[in-house]
Amino acid sequence: MTDLAMHLTTDEIELWAQGLLPATRAMHLADCSLCRVEAERERKVILELVQLPQFSPRAGFADRVMAQVKVPTPSGDWTT
Amino acid sequence: MAWAKQGHDAAFRELVRRYERPVFSLLYRMVRDRALAEDLAQETFIKVLNGIKSYRPEFKFSSWIFKIANNAAIDHLRRKSIDTLSLDGAPGAETPDQMRATQLQVGDRAESPLDEVENRELGTAIERAIARLRPEYRSCILLRHVEGYSYEEIATTLELPLGTVKTYIHRARNELRGYLEGRRE
Repeated sequence: MTDLAMHLTTDEIELWAQGLLPATRAMHLADCSLCRVEAERERKVILELVQLPQFSPRAGFADRVMAQVKVPTPSGDWTT
Repeated sequence: MAWAKQGHDAAFRELVRRYERPVFSLLYRMVRDRALAEDLAQETFIKVLNGIKSYRPEFKFSSWIFKIANNAAIDHLRRKSIDTLSLDGAPGAETPDQMRATQLQVGDRAESPLDEVENRELGTAIERAIARLRPEYRSCILLRHVEGYSYEEIATTLELPLGTVKTYIHRARNELRGYLEGRRE
């Protein structure tokens, strides 16, 4: 089976969704509706995941952490 | 990192500032409770900073911190699943009366302002779909697509075989697709 005729693997579909699949393999999608449908479904879910927002803890988080961390001094002692 | 290892307060604070959002976000999505996620994030940073001298620079610092955060989340979820069993009564309870007498009472409770924030933040279809995944799948998929880790980095971070990581991520994406497409039908 040639490169063009082989169905895309799951890894290749992920690469395609990220725009990283080599053109020689991506061309298979033009001729294969099975892979095209599968790749489009995969792209949708990956897009939703990469767009997820980051959340922040409450203000003062670093202070609350640092209050409980022992910071070593240059002399080798520890302070909190 | 070198400054932090020498014990500079400002360097420690910089590490917290740099990683607090990704670590908190991972934990929040794992446990879906803001206050608890913050406790676990705090516990993670304290462990990391107090143990900074044991950090091995051949590993990415972010991998080390995510590993500790993920372990904290998984430990919590395991403990919680054991507690959930006790909703049916104490393990030694054999008769229906003993079970009734020892079971936890879960009553209706009004939604607090914090609940409202959580519902808003984690109420979208994709967030609810992520919540339905097994915790192991959840951490892999979040590290892959939210943090942009490679499969190899996830395997190192979570100390899992590479093949297992690939399987978890593929299954997770399949399940997510199923949940999301079910919603659209």
